Amino acid sequence: MNAIEVDNLRRIYRPVMGIFRRKVKEIVAVDDISFYVKPGELFGILGPNGAGKTTTVKILVTILIPTSGSARIQGFDVVREAEKVRPRIGFILGGERGLYWRLSGVDNLRYFASLYHVDPGISKSRIPYLMELVGLEDRGKEKVEGYSRGMKQRLHIARALLHDPDILFLDEPSIGLDPIGAREVREVVRNLQAEKKTILLTTHYMFEADALCQRIAVINHGKIVALDTPEALKEVVKDLHIIEVEVFGIPSEVIERLQAKGFIENLAVENVEQRQVLLIQTARGSEAVPDILAILNGLRVGKISVREPTLEDAYVRLVGNKGE
Amino acid sequence: MASIRPFYLTKYLRVIASTFEMTFRQTVKDAFILFAVLFQPLIIAMLALWMLKDKGGQYIIFVVIGSGMTGLWSSLLFISGNGITVERWMGTLESLVAAPTPIQVVVIGKNLANVLQSLGSMVVSYILVSFIFGYPLSIAQPWLFLISLIITVVSFVCFGIIIASLFILNPDVQRWQNGLEFPVYILCGFLFPIALLPGWTTPLSYLLTPYWAALALHASAQGTGTIANISFAWGVMLGYSILYLFLSKRLFRVILKKARVDATLSMH
Ligand SMILES: Nc1ncnc2c1ncn2[C@@H]1O[C@H](COP(=O)(O)OP(=O)(O)O)[C@@H](O)[C@H]1O
Ligand SMILES: [Mg+2]
Repeated sequence: MNAIEVDNLRRIYRPVMGIFRRKVKEIVAVDDISFYVKPGELFGILGPNGAGKTTTVKILVTILIPTSGSARIQGFDVVREAEKVRPRIGFILGGERGLYWRLSGVDNLRYFASLYHVDPGISKSRIPYLMELVGLEDRGKEKVEGYSRGMKQRLHIARALLHDPDILFLDEPSIGLDPIGAREVREVVRNLQAEKKTILLTTHYMFEADALCQRIAVINHGKIVALDTPEALKEVVKDLHIIEVEVFGIPSEVIERLQAKGFIENLAVENVEQRQVLLIQTARGSEAVPDILAILNGLRVGKISVREPTLEDAYVRLVGNKGE
Repeated sequence: MASIRPFYLTKYLRVIASTFEMTFRQTVKDAFILFAVLFQPLIIAMLALWMLKDKGGQYIIFVVIGSGMTGLWSSLLFISGNGITVERWMGTLESLVAAPTPIQVVVIGKNLANVLQSLGSMVVSYILVSFIFGYPLSIAQPWLFLISLIITVVSFVCFGIIIASLFILNPDVQRWQNGLEFPVYILCGFLFPIALLPGWTTPLSYLLTPYWAALALHASAQGTGTIANISFAWGVMLGYSILYLFLSKRLFRVILKKARVDATLSMH
């Protein structure tokens, strides 16, 4: 049996806009997605902000009801059998909220342990173990309000593990962390994987998904645009080369003219201060450079480089831009 | 809650105890709560004492208890009433809902902490008034009073669950809260007997569990009641409590379902 099964899941938000004229706007956050996660697998959902990652996770952890479609955790329906799902899963929803800031880290864990009916005898040894696992063993007695963002996020992970669930949902566990904090969180995730936990992780960092996940669903505008292993996803851009061209103040007509060229498979523009970096995907490799320069004629051009594609480029190809 | 096995009962009692403990620890430093719990009843007690100082000794204990009850009611209305909303602001509500403990159990623990903290204010008023003002205060029927107090706590805790759930359903929380504070003081006879009110309000008083609490506490403190009418008040309070528990189970099921459909468990 699969650990997680998702069938044709859809979720529409209908936020009420305005106080007097109650306009109702519809937002399709998750648009007919299906996937499964095998026991012990580390599965990634990768997508830009607003793609529907958090919505998907919230449905799976029973705090949001789907508009249509269904999902099962270890065979239990997340809507009809939420009570059976809840003790079997742990989750974090990213960010630093969701903790009792006036209490210490250890007190937060003690409280959630009681909510998850962890035997007091067990939590006595489990809490110190978890605090060590997430690298907070020296700070456990301090109030959470004094924790850094990364510490709060790691405390969340410890909270999710209190009842030793088989299945974990980690929604953007490294969001907003500095590179060191993010690396520490990834280390924790790797350790969990080694413990044979089933993990569903969402992220908008390509390299994080690449480094951690066995399979990745790339999601954009609520839809899965690709689902495969990182290696297979790279196949999308296998025959392409990436030409990076630095330009200064490129007009949009020139970008459109480049995009119209048949030999350019994909073009993304990154703004870096007053210059732009064109990321051009082409099958022609360095041979395409003179043609590109001909179109850029008259503009100030900086560095030009040709390189092999990475998973990042596959992501750019699938999602259409750098994901911002 | 008929289907609860003993196994769950101990787990739930443990949740109530840990919720109680952490609510208590979080609130001891909260200025607003200190005001509601300690200073407001004291101010009311002193004002009332000053106005009633010619009325004689038996009135004093009435005022002490009445002012304690105002503190109890205010804290139930504002702190228990906002309990869920505060969790929502902190971002902890989603974690509470997703945990395998019914949310009513958590609400019971929070309410218990709040009610017992307010009871502290009754004691403070009592001690301050008797020492500073030099009034000799005594409880006429201490055992009946103690039992009344315990049942009062139970019934307030249960009443608080209903208040918390109704306030989640009703978005105009603030207006409801302010509008309910003083009418209940008056309707429940905290500070003067309801016999002074027009007759049509009496049935309203009977519907409110704080009325029966005030009746039992006032009567046993002053020695004006019989065992029969005090224990009748106990029975009504316990009856209401069971009713509230049943109702709250249903109310929360509806409310949480609606919140999961409308995505209102967190601030988007
Ligand atoms: N409670 C909500 N009410 C209305 N719209 C929402 C709500 N939550 C999310 N959305 C919208 O749904 C879309 C998907 O959001 P989300 O699932 O949070 O994406 P992600 O986690 O991938 O950034 C976004 O357009 C977001 O603005
Ligand atoms: Mg998100």
